[in-house]
Amino acid sequence: MTNAESPRYRLAVLAVVVLALFAALFARLWYLQVLTSDTFELQAESNRIRVVQVEAPRGRILDRNGTVLVDNRVSTVVTVDRVIFNALDDDEAADMLNRLADEMSRYGSPATVEQLVDRVNDVRYSQYAPVPVAEDVTEELKIYVEEHRDEFPSVAVERTAVRRYSYGTRGAHLIGYVGEINDTELEDRADKPKTYERGDHIGKTGVERIYEDDLRGTPGRTVYEVDAQGRPVRILEDLSRPPIPGDDVWLTVDITTQSIAEDLLKDALDAARNRPPSGDNLPNEAPGGSVVVTDPQDGSVLAMASYPTFDPSDFVNGISSARYAFLADEDGPRPLNNRAIQGQYAPGSTFKLISGYAALASGLREADTPYFDTGSHTLENCEGQCTFRNAGSKAYGTVDLQRSITVSSDAYFYSIGEDFWNARGRLGEEAFQESARLFGFDQETGVPLPSEQDGRIPTPEQRKAQYDANPGAFLERNWFTGDNVNMAIGQGDVAVTPLQLANAYATFANGGTRYAPNIATKITRAGSENTVKRTFEPRINGNIDLPAEWRDPLLQGLLGVTASGSGTAFGTFQGFPLNEFPVAGKTGTAQVNGKADTAVFAAFGPVPDPRYQVAVILEESGFGGTAAAPVARKLFDQFAGIAQPPELQPGGELVYPVEAEDEPTQEDLARVGSAD
Amino acid sequence: MDAFAGRWPGTTRSSSSMRRNPAAPWRHVDLIMLGSIVAIAIIGTLMVFSATRGSDPDSVNTGTLERHVVFLLTGGTTMVLVSMVDYRKFREWALIAYIGVCALLVGVVSPLGTEVNGAQAWFQIGGFQLQPSELSKVAVILVLASLGAQFGGDVDVRRLGVLLAVPAVPLILIILQPDPGTAMVIVAITMGVLLVSNVRAKHIAALTLLGLTGLVFVLNSGLLEDYQKSRLTVFLNPSAGLREEAYNLNQSKIAIGSGGILGKGIFEGTQTQLDIVPEQHTDFIFTAVGEELGFIGAATLLVLFGILCWRIWRIAQLSRDQLGLLLCVGVLSMIVFQMFQNTGMTMGIMPITGIPLPLVSHGGSSTIALFAGLGLVQNVHMRRFS
Repeated sequence: MTNAESPRYRLAVLAVVVLALFAALFARLWYLQVLTSDTFELQAESNRIRVVQVEAPRGRILDRNGTVLVDNRVSTVVTVDRVIFNALDDDEAADMLNRLADEMSRYGSPATVEQLVDRVNDVRYSQYAPVPVAEDVTEELKIYVEEHRDEFPSVAVERTAVRRYSYGTRGAHLIGYVGEINDTELEDRADKPKTYERGDHIGKTGVERIYEDDLRGTPGRTVYEVDAQGRPVRILEDLSRPPIPGDDVWLTVDITTQSIAEDLLKDALDAARNRPPSGDNLPNEAPGGSVVVTDPQDGSVLAMASYPTFDPSDFVNGISSARYAFLADEDGPRPLNNRAIQGQYAPGSTFKLISGYAALASGLREADTPYFDTGSHTLENCEGQCTFRNAGSKAYGTVDLQRSITVSSDAYFYSIGEDFWNARGRLGEEAFQESARLFGFDQETGVPLPSEQDGRIPTPEQRKAQYDANPGAFLERNWFTGDNVNMAIGQGDVAVTPLQLANAYATFANGGTRYAPNIATKITRAGSENTVKRTFEPRINGNIDLPAEWRDPLLQGLLGVTASGSGTAFGTFQGFPLNEFPVAGKTGTAQVNGKADTAVFAAFGPVPDPRYQVAVILEESGFGGTAAAPVARKLFDQFAGIAQPPELQPGGELVYPVEAEDEPTQEDLARVGSAD
Repeated sequence: MDAFAGRWPGTTRSSSSMRRNPAAPWRHVDLIMLGSIVAIAIIGTLMVFSATRGSDPDSVNTGTLERHVVFLLTGGTTMVLVSMVDYRKFREWALIAYIGVCALLVGVVSPLGTEVNGAQAWFQIGGFQLQPSELSKVAVILVLASLGAQFGGDVDVRRLGVLLAVPAVPLILIILQPDPGTAMVIVAITMGVLLVSNVRAKHIAALTLLGLTGLVFVLNSGLLEDYQKSRLTVFLNPSAGLREEAYNLNQSKIAIGSGGILGKGIFEGTQTQLDIVPEQHTDFIFTAVGEELGFIGAATLLVLFGILCWRIWRIAQLSRDQLGLLLCVGVLSMIVFQMFQNTGMTMGIMPITGIPLPLVSHGGSSTIALFAGLGLVQNVHMRRFS
């Protein structure tokens, strides 16, 4: 027997093998537990815990008196997880939806399979979160589905906090709506202290968007220790954090005034639609309009109505494609548009306040310089169209500035437009436009709302630039005297938003201070209305030089509109106590190519210390004095306290007390002859 | 073949009384080996309890612990019984045990057996599951050692064929279950015994080559299901395996690695207490040791295994005959392979197979078979002078 075959030798070989195996185990153990232990410790920790974001309740929105306009409620929602749903085979899926629709109908939340299929396939819903297929279902359904979980793969019934709008659609444009955060918003907010996740809600428009940072609560988190199946074993309190509710925003708006304005706006448009057009005018379509009420003393917005409107609760739990397509359709009624800041209209004769001011300020006119109004104005040294007529070719005889405003003499202001252009050598080409800009036109008012439009004050410079950029689209490259003439009566290319118009008049009303309109007064801490986080002070955007010798004739002219027998809104303000509550205003009837006239009215009161500034613009509704002024009149009835205030019901309906007093009837108002 | 002759010149067999007889078996119990067995079993019991007590502090689950203690006591009794009868007598019973085990293995793959986790490896007898493949390991050791001792110094190709045929029968039956882990243990036992019996070196080399070729062939043939192949190979490339295997392996490594040097403390391991590691009280028990007792604890356990192996190896050397030597080598091969394969698996250096960690994992048949093997070793030690 050789040495290599002796048992002793073989046992030694065995020992070497065993020792080698032990060495390998020790080496590996050392590597795992000493050299690389740190990474495994981290992994073990993340294995152990699951962090669940707890969404914080969003702050409330209150009106200036503390009436809660928007808060939160719990909604029971049926959701379908698309990932699981799409993994089902077709029969299974169809079968499951059939059963779901049956059970929903049985438990008081009727639904059809088609509705469910539409929702599940709707691309508007988040790809990351389960799709809500039915909202506000009954508790019985929730219990049934949860007890029969196995029969409804991918389906869950969850309670979520959603926005509650106490007064329905009231203030919808102002308040805005919330929706699921999109990719761009998520990116923009990556650095915000309040973190966002996919599926979170965010203010999309209006106050909800502008004060998002205040309204949004700070999400909390619950840290669970979980087992291998991900089932929570216990909550780790020291790692968890409760959610902090968002702060409350107090608006400058008075919800009752807002509701009155909205109803008046709708009624006025309905009335305009039913009113036969005068003469050869086109029929009134009256598709939309806006009413703005501000406080001239500090620029706060008391009411901002836009018609047509929308229901922000449509967006709760996500809006369906069909509904959103209707709301956002560019060719449709565009109810999402806040016409108060996004609608741009020719102001018509309401612009004469600015033209008159410009004439005084530039020294082109003295207030008492007489002008003989023959019903038209013919330009000097002119070729082509040189005669501009008054509306209805009415002749007012000898007028000064004050009277030309009261009666709304176009010819007087045509002459101002002409003089500005003739004096361009001395005053510059844009002297007129400069005055308009002092009143805040051609720029944002600075109201804290998204998507505000600039409006437009045309200039020779702009005309050239537009023409050069796109010669086919414009008739003329040059600026003519006639352009100035049109501008003087708020026509041509002049465009203003209802809020700009209100703000320009408010600037005049308060003696020359142009405020940036505010829509919120303060932010208070959640759950404590007395703990003020911050307040919004009036913001001044500019000042206008307004000495008494300029202001008085203009103001008297505006007061005459309502008070003088020849005023264009005299009939409308019949029966209004102008002595105790003087109202200064101006009507406007702006021509629009191929459409009925835009009806405009701007007014403030009580003079001399006005607290209310009203601007009304009604699209395709005819005369300003007929269609728009009555809206303002009824608002002033409320402001002056001569009409019983209505009661605002939950849901937003206004209930008016039975009137005992004499009030002008609709017929009275319609009979009022209002020239423009 | 008289390698051990004259090693103990002072011994004598002519004592007048049992009491005075220094060669009496009960005087030669290897206490160090017994101590290491007890120590390992205590650590094992603690860890089985930790892995199965549940995560609810108000209602600690002791069911598995109780069963485990019963298994250990049954195993201990078996060990004592096995060590009381002279191991040389077992030579006569080896064939009967072997045939009996083969019959059980045939039975278990028949409809009489119960399938668990894809392997038909159990007889359900009341509340107890009998796993014949565990018993077959001991039977194979007995037969191989008996034949090896009988063949003595002359193992030609024919005798080698007999030595290979003996484990081949249960091996094939076990592969049919299929239970690749236990099959590998049978192979390891056979290789160990062949190495130390007088099989020629060139035959061993040839067999090793043949074995490796066979392994490659099996892996590439259709004999194994995909999931079994995946379990065998996932440790080489954890990201390529079936999800479940990769997950198990990853959690296993996380548990051991996160234990660090000192461990998280008994009952404090999150991977263990939250049931994140699968099959933890059986095949993956070493992860509980690693996580809760740390490097200190795991290394201590390995050292205890080292002591146990050293004692078995020493007893093999001290054995007065070839039979005792081969019995010890068979048991040693079984324990070393199982321990290396099991802990190596949990640490990601060996394939995932269902092999219990000797004396630590929870399991009735394996515990009893193992104690029977240890009883044989003790038996050899006790009777090395008689």
